[in-house]
Amino acid sequence: MLIEILQQTINGLAIGGVYVLIALGLTTVFGILGIAHFAHGSISMFGGYLTYFLATSQGLPVLAAIPVALAAGILLGVLVEVLAYRPVRNANHINAFIVALGLTMMVEGINLQLFGHEQVVIPTGLSRVFRFGGITVPELRLYVIVAAIVLVVAMMIFVERTKTGQAIRAVAENRDAAILMGVNVRTIPLIVFGMSTALGVAAGIMVGALFAIAPGIGEGLVVKGFAVLILGGLGSFPGAILGGTVLGITESIAAGFISSAYKDVIAFVVMILVLLIRPQGLLGRAP
Amino acid sequence: MSKHKFTRACAALALTLVAGSSLAAEKKLTVGVADALTGGGAVYGLPQANAVKMAAEEINAAGGIKVGADTYKIDVIAYDDKANPTEATNAVRKLIDRDGVKYILGFCCSGSTSAVASFIGNEKAVMLVGNAAERSITTKKIPNLVRTRPPADYTGQAAGTFIARKGQKRIAVLGALDVGFYAQYVDSVEREIKKAGGEIIAREVFSLKDRDMTPQLTKIRGLNPDAILVVGYVEPAAFVYRQAVELGMNIPRYGFTSGSEEQFLRVTTSEQMEGVWDLRPTELTLLSASKNGIAYHANYTKKYNASPSPSSPYAYDQLYALKAAIEAAGTVDNTDAVAKALRNLAVPPQVVMQYQPVDGKMFDVNGQAYTSNGAFQWQKGKWVFVEDLPSDSKAYSQFLSTLN
Repeated sequence: MLIEILQQTINGLAIGGVYVLIALGLTTVFGILGIAHFAHGSISMFGGYLTYFLATSQGLPVLAAIPVALAAGILLGVLVEVLAYRPVRNANHINAFIVALGLTMMVEGINLQLFGHEQVVIPTGLSRVFRFGGITVPELRLYVIVAAIVLVVAMMIFVERTKTGQAIRAVAENRDAAILMGVNVRTIPLIVFGMSTALGVAAGIMVGALFAIAPGIGEGLVVKGFAVLILGGLGSFPGAILGGTVLGITESIAAGFISSAYKDVIAFVVMILVLLIRPQGLLGRAP
Repeated sequence: MSKHKFTRACAALALTLVAGSSLAAEKKLTVGVADALTGGGAVYGLPQANAVKMAAEEINAAGGIKVGADTYKIDVIAYDDKANPTEATNAVRKLIDRDGVKYILGFCCSGSTSAVASFIGNEKAVMLVGNAAERSITTKKIPNLVRTRPPADYTGQAAGTFIARKGQKRIAVLGALDVGFYAQYVDSVEREIKKAGGEIIAREVFSLKDRDMTPQLTKIRGLNPDAILVVGYVEPAAFVYRQAVELGMNIPRYGFTSGSEEQFLRVTTSEQMEGVWDLRPTELTLLSASKNGIAYHANYTKKYNASPSPSSPYAYDQLYALKAAIEAAGTVDNTDAVAKALRNLAVPPQVVMQYQPVDGKMFDVNGQAYTSNGAFQWQKGKWVFVEDLPSDSKAYSQFLSTLN
């Protein structure tokens, strides 16, 4: 029994890592700019598709394709901010909401046109399996967990320890005060979108390597990402990390010990139960 | 014969030929295809649509369909039903109402096919079902519907006997069990395993979109089964095979998926697939194929630059069966006569699948065709046909006739 619980926890950690990266991207944009960026999942899938394209059609090694896709992600994030969200920044919130929905459909359409309708799996060549007692950990899952941890730590250091990070937090706390303190608030959204999209692309690459990328998967991922946001607490970085991990492990344990038929439902039931006890989410601040 | 008489004879012959050719016109027969061209079902639907188009080109090149003095060249219109019942209904309505199509082929997936089957009996059209394996499609005695693929439980019975013969007693099932025909397959397997003193110890589920099966496999691993049985669409099934190896499950893996080598290798490696069994109708693999099958495989690969899926000839065979039925009925307009001719048809020589006729006919009284069943094993990157699975098509046909 203990072995099974540990194995299910390890299983859940890999997908939990993906949820954390998606949720961090969403919470950054939502917490700082107040935008529910629904296109985040589709853009993540674009990153995964791009990596697949570079690795298969262009013959790049996967390790070389990943930084190219991440850089393209940053650029795409900046473009999305400038072309899609900046024009409606000072308008009613519903405008940004509609832009987000339209952008989702547009990116899904672009993915379909550029990469086709078939599912693709990013070829990593990582097929070894490590065994610790009765627990097995596929090499690829281990690297995904490690990569997720590295990215989360890097992002936390960037936000907490750098001047740009301080500026981002200042804008999130009080935009007017940040302007008075000399923060260049025009560049902050660019940085936020660049960072958020890079995290999303990283998540897309992980999904593409662990499982598969296909039309429609991004939408499912963004729904899970928002669920994590609510579970962890809106706008909270530690909340997104905890929420994503909890959701991943809960899904895995629920499928293993209750029923695989209701895997998604059970995860959302847990989310609702948490919100009944803590409406602000696990680590969110009470209003 | 004098020169004058000879000239008159030639002129008369020329006149006869001209008159004859104006009567025996070349006409166009449009057939429709409703199938999953995108989405999860496209692994089956797209190759089916391709197969129909290829058969149409072959028939046209060989002179078309001959009905009395007329020759019909086939034109194919294909619509994407996304394996979705609503989309399939819309696609077929569009084919019948707008395009004026009387013959509709394709139909890879059971949910969408059942939706169309529910109203096709009221239409002046003939529906030829391909890969969709849900049993109830041919239990409703719909006179203008036939199906080339046998129902899943017909195959499940043979598969259960095979697994029992291998000596495994405790079988764990992981599959798309919320899909009727997969559940029917497993029920049939279970009946045969129980007869041999075995049991199904777990029935775990995955959905079409699931790609992470490790929670279910971890649970199954904890139950220590003798073997696992995987029933479902190719893509999720491929993840099950891959992740079972990653979890260190070194037990026999049986399946009911009908995926091609190419489709599996998009997800798994050949090493991860080594030894996997697929217990299914004797569909297309190079080693099990007839001469027609080998030619089909080569032509399809050349035309589409991809291997055909094993189940795609169900649709290819539909068009040859339709051609033979139209020619036998001597009409393209009277769909009742063509539907009746289909029920009385001997297996046409051009078909790819190895059908087991019932009373000498390709389709039984229910409109159901039967192929032999086979055990295929993944060996060094290929599906290898290992043996026939004994199946009694006549007995099953009688059983099918008793159902509503």
